[in-house]
Amino acid sequence: MSITNKITVKRAEIAVAVILALCSIALMIKSAENRITWNAEENMGAGFLPFYLSLGMLICTVLTIIKFVLKRSPQSKDNSPFIEADAFKYIAVTIISLVILVLAIGYLGIYFSLIFFLAFYLRYFSSKSVLFISVFSLITPVLTFLFFEWLLKIPLPQGISEPLFYPVYDFMYS
Amino acid sequence: MDVFILLLEGIFVSFEPLNLGLLVFGCLIGLFVGAMPGLGSVNGVAILIPITFIIPPTAAIIFLAAVYYGAMYGGAISSVMLGIPGASTAVATVFDGRPLAVKGEAMTALTAAAVGSFVGGTVSVILFTLFAPPLAEVALRFNAPETFALMVMAFATFVGLGGDDVPKTIFSILIGLALSTIGLDLITGKPRLIFFNIPGFLHGINFLVLAIGIYGIGEMLWTLEETKGKVQMSKLSVNMKEVGRAFGALKKTIMAMNIGSFLGFFVGILPAAGATPASLMSYGITKQLSKNSKEFGSGVPAGVVAPECANNSASTGSMLPMLTLGIPGSPTTAILLGGMILWGLTPGPLLFTQEPEFVWGLIGSLYIANFFTLVLNIALIPAFLMVLRIPFAILAPVIFVLCVTGGYAPTQSLHDVWLMLLFGFAGYILRKLDYPVAPAVLSIVLGPLAEKALRQSLILSDGSMGIFFDMAEKPIAAIIMYIAIVLLIMPAFGPLYRKFFKKAQTT
Repeated sequence: MSITNKITVKRAEIAVAVILALCSIALMIKSAENRITWNAEENMGAGFLPFYLSLGMLICTVLTIIKFVLKRSPQSKDNSPFIEADAFKYIAVTIISLVILVLAIGYLGIYFSLIFFLAFYLRYFSSKSVLFISVFSLITPVLTFLFFEWLLKIPLPQGISEPLFYPVYDFMYS
Repeated sequence: MDVFILLLEGIFVSFEPLNLGLLVFGCLIGLFVGAMPGLGSVNGVAILIPITFIIPPTAAIIFLAAVYYGAMYGGAISSVMLGIPGASTAVATVFDGRPLAVKGEAMTALTAAAVGSFVGGTVSVILFTLFAPPLAEVALRFNAPETFALMVMAFATFVGLGGDDVPKTIFSILIGLALSTIGLDLITGKPRLIFFNIPGFLHGINFLVLAIGIYGIGEMLWTLEETKGKVQMSKLSVNMKEVGRAFGALKKTIMAMNIGSFLGFFVGILPAAGATPASLMSYGITKQLSKNSKEFGSGVPAGVVAPECANNSASTGSMLPMLTLGIPGSPTTAILLGGMILWGLTPGPLLFTQEPEFVWGLIGSLYIANFFTLVLNIALIPAFLMVLRIPFAILAPVIFVLCVTGGYAPTQSLHDVWLMLLFGFAGYILRKLDYPVAPAVLSIVLGPLAEKALRQSLILSDGSMGIFFDMAEKPIAAIIMYIAIVLLIMPAFGPLYRKFFKKAQTT
């Protein structure tokens, strides 16, 4: 049995509800670092709202878990795979490549990271020619650069590739 | 008469070169965004909002409203040609639009959708012009308690009318509100919820990070799963004979146009509703009232006209509470509202007196956008079909690039890009488990406004919650609060009602 068949909607529902309950508890604990009381003299403590909002979230997740146990929600009776096997490849590769993209942005800078991301993504999922992929992967970061840095004057992260852009900036602002 | 003069001034504002250029550009982008499966007005507006930072607020709102408007038109194209709704607002269009295309009458379906959208858009803009000023007059009398009560009602509407799982809906509202409390407390100045002492949390979570995460990354993952990167399109022959035949078929859709336009507008005004339920309701009611109700679903033009009229009408309707009360009527207007705050405006009734050019420029632009979108929609059908042939595997990385740059640009912090990815993945998983995500986006936009109104009210009342329920002192706030409570407890009566009704039927 493949991993996608093991993760059913039913299992995902309860796992997510439990994770959300734990997150709610963590939020309550974090909120309690500030005063969580409220009275006429002192008005509302800084932690009051986040604490009770998180408490509300916890109650909602507990209700979801109760509905699951009593089989009152459609998900509690659904044994179909949470993600179909043929779609899993798309989702997993997309998520992993996006995480690597953002990691690379911090180090390589956004423009070079985008070239690698686009080249990989298009090569992996599309049946386009190497020429198309190369041109597309190069033009998109160039357009991104022109739009953000030249038109909007918003500098995007450049990481270790920053010195390579100095001549371009000299040209743009001279 | 005053309204007429202000409207004329607004129309002149939207004819200024920059505004008109952005309006046409916005309509075009909206049409494409709406036509692409998986992308709707909310995704388009969320992803494009960072672009508006360099233009004046009036031009920005005209541009984004045109994107919103165009997307409502465009949604029908992929519903008809691919059988995949371009956006959730065009789900009901698939019911009859797709069978028409399969029968070889795609042109009839596309024309019905375009004309329906135009009629719905026109009726709703007229209603909007008539209703907005008096509603803003009333709203001018609102203070902090009334404002807070309105916000509570906006949240309660999601619970009472949203139709989703109640604990999951409330969870979504609460997590949006909790996320909006991250950062510095507005009264005491103390840092709140700064996880692992990461300084990025000190400036709070920008609503755009959540909106782009959910409606950009999350929606793309969802669509990649649905389409697996491929497209399957119907054949279409475009010639004058087909267009003439398509217009001829519209004679029998007058009732659908009326239902869609008026129902769509009033459903659009409700905070939880927006264009998706409006279009579904209009389709259902038109089907019920039609003499040929049995033919619905097999490809009748009225089945396309009703939802298309309604989704356009609702999109305009949802801007009414956004402008007059500062409460968004749909997820897209929630993002527009956030944009207004980013542009330095205070949403609400004061806009009508303080920023008349902004408000009437927007209203005037809706009239113009309606016309341009109709013309562009029909003229560019062949171009849309070319774009629709682009496999999703090519479109998706471009959207991801826009999301990453759009997430970074507002605060210029990679911290926000990481958060956006996290929200995107979480939004995708939660949506698969039927957690509604729109309430979270609404809450993160309204959260800071609601907290401010709540705390100001409590300072006024020396800490007593009674200020929200005092019929003698604050009757408007009290009435709104009681309506909110009814909406909140309404779902609890649903099963009881059904049980009682079943029992009565059996006896």
